Amino acid sequence: MTSEKVAVTAESTVKGTAGRTAPGVRVSGLSVVYRTPAGELPAVSGIDLELVPGSITGVVGESGSGKSTLALSLLNAVQPPGRISAGSVEIDGLGDVVRLTGEALRKARGRHIGYVFQAAQNSLNPLKTIGKQLLDLGRSHDVADLRGLVREARDLLGRMGMDGARVLDSHQHELSGGMRQRVGIMFALVLNAHLVVLDEPTTALDMITQATILRIVREVHEERGLTTLVITHDLGVVAEVADRLAVMYGGRVVEQGPTAQVLGAPRHPYTRGLLQAIPRLVGDIGEATALPGRPPTLGTIPAEGCVFRERCVLRTDVCETEDPPVLSQGESLVACHAVAAKARRDGPATAARTWEPGDVWAIDEIPGAGGSDEERRDEGIRAAGGVPQVAGVRRGQGGQA
Amino acid sequence: MITGRGVTKTFRQRGGVLAGREVKALRGVDFAIEKGGAASFIGESGCGKTTLGRIIAGLEPHDSGEIVIDGTAMSSLRPRQRQPYFRRIQLIHQDPYSALNPTRTVHQTLNAPLTLRAGQTRRPRSWVDERAGELLSLVGLDPGYVLPRYPHQLSGGMRQRVVIARALTVDPEMLVADEAVSMIDVSLRLGILALLKDLRERLGVSVLFITHDVATARYIGADGELYVIYRGQVVERGPVETIISDPVHPYTQSLLSAIPVLHGLERPGEQVVVPTEALDESHRDTGCLFARRCPFGTERCLTEEPLLGHGGGTPQEHACHHPMSRSVVAMPVGGG
Repeated sequence: MTSEKVAVTAESTVKGTAGRTAPGVRVSGLSVVYRTPAGELPAVSGIDLELVPGSITGVVGESGSGKSTLALSLLNAVQPPGRISAGSVEIDGLGDVVRLTGEALRKARGRHIGYVFQAAQNSLNPLKTIGKQLLDLGRSHDVADLRGLVREARDLLGRMGMDGARVLDSHQHELSGGMRQRVGIMFALVLNAHLVVLDEPTTALDMITQATILRIVREVHEERGLTTLVITHDLGVVAEVADRLAVMYGGRVVEQGPTAQVLGAPRHPYTRGLLQAIPRLVGDIGEATALPGRPPTLGTIPAEGCVFRERCVLRTDVCETEDPPVLSQGESLVACHAVAAKARRDGPATAARTWEPGDVWAIDEIPGAGGSDEERRDEGIRAAGGVPQVAGVRRGQGGQA
Repeated sequence: MITGRGVTKTFRQRGGVLAGREVKALRGVDFAIEKGGAASFIGESGCGKTTLGRIIAGLEPHDSGEIVIDGTAMSSLRPRQRQPYFRRIQLIHQDPYSALNPTRTVHQTLNAPLTLRAGQTRRPRSWVDERAGELLSLVGLDPGYVLPRYPHQLSGGMRQRVVIARALTVDPEMLVADEAVSMIDVSLRLGILALLKDLRERLGVSVLFITHDVATARYIGADGELYVIYRGQVVERGPVETIISDPVHPYTQSLLSAIPVLHGLERPGEQVVVPTEALDESHRDTGCLFARRCPFGTERCLTEEPLLGHGGGTPQEHACHHPMSRSVVAMPVGGG
């Protein structure tokens, strides 16, 4: 916070990580509620998440999972009717962002935290050249050396494989989607922020452009020494780019850990279901299985118990009433009654067995699990006509008791 | 069912800075989709795949070339006479949110075309409601729940199912699904894909799947034909599995290389192909259209146009002077 008082000099906007390193971020007990006619409904509930300095963390979730709300909370930018109702977001060098207000908050955004908005392709002003918008940004942040800012922007754009001078002279309609996305990333970094949030950075981009953007994100992240948060609905995107992965569902983080561990040995039934629902290029395509039901919306997130239980093949009675315990193993965390029960029975070692696509725990491994298809079916979607049956339950891999 | 020969389409910019500029959306495309068969068009946005889909569905006239539906050449018919042919081919849009009228309940949405249909086929009015229920059940929805509701009361996945049910009201022989799951939540996508696959298997409906995601194309019809389209031309064409396991065109290889690797479950392919320029803005039309982005391009590629064929003895057709198989696809960790 004291760094805010220091006048911004040209040096601090020009290249390099001088005097600034990748900040760590600790989100604790964060809850965000939205006011609706039905009362205040939770979009995000009791989230604990740490962004390790210098790492790329991916948050993956479907619409309504609260992932964008979580990202906005990092800027303390949740808009009414939403509000942060509990918890804190501690950012190194800034303190608790939730407590920042007014000018201090405005300065923190852009200067400390760069944000690339969802559909950054469409978030540029169509009437002004990119260069003019850059100068506006500089002035609103009291940058003394605007020339230095332009130079920095040009370097960044050049770094991302574009002709910087030409791009700054362009209007947004003269740039392709992938180029606009890179301009968005430039805007997020040009004030030398070391915490960068990218909300759906590759939505609406082509496969090849997506691969290019992800490579750029990774390279710029490493070169500039950033702490990066990537929000996406696409497991492939986080798998490609993130060191650590948090899976969100119904406003909660249900599983998190190192990316290779979460994808290689997923433990939460939702993570498993999601991985299984993605058709792959290699292997038996018939193994792809749809998750039954549909994700909850703000109004249908259960107030108590596990948020995923409606769609879960491992559901037990306790899931209805009690929040799942968070089980840690190594660096990863999982919030699931079934996983906890299994760990209690078998000891934690077996929970770490490797997993293969198509591998679902057999229901009989979980005491009291079950419930009929009738109960599990989505209110509107029947287990008929092309909807794969819920009971796609196969015996897990061998080697267990 | 439907074949096309040398189909072209050029768009002319009407107003604005680019007025008068021509965009060649399709430069002479051949295709053939059998009754009950599956085909997929893949390529980046702007490659012409959506335009081709719209032409096939009869929503867009083409400039030259011939389209034949069930043995009848469309050029021999007047526009009005073509209607019963194109009615057999129904398009499913990418966006189920804008494809349904927000002021109509699902009941109203299905009733209108079904009432027409009842008139055409001399069926009693009672058939309309009966059929609406049948179709909703067929697409995996509970008629009692869905019929009285408006689109905003349904999830994206349910809406897309309603759109599919509506397409089925006219008893089509072919569905054209244009990025039909790209706006649907990840966990619900497979359900929609499974439905299309199931309709193909149970009703014998042909499915044309237009997408940029090769894996979903594989899911819908692993036995079908894959068309890889680049700047209005088919650059590689053949059975889905052949092209995925043994692509020979560098553009196809770039597309497959760009698919994110699920680290922990997969390891990247051994010979990942990355196009040399992010965008070929030259818009030059000589030689191979991909040559200026191709990492393997030669002098010949810049001047001489490669033609679609089995050059080099490949099982699939390709349009490349230097076809070479490269292992670009990510493989599951631990073989397999």
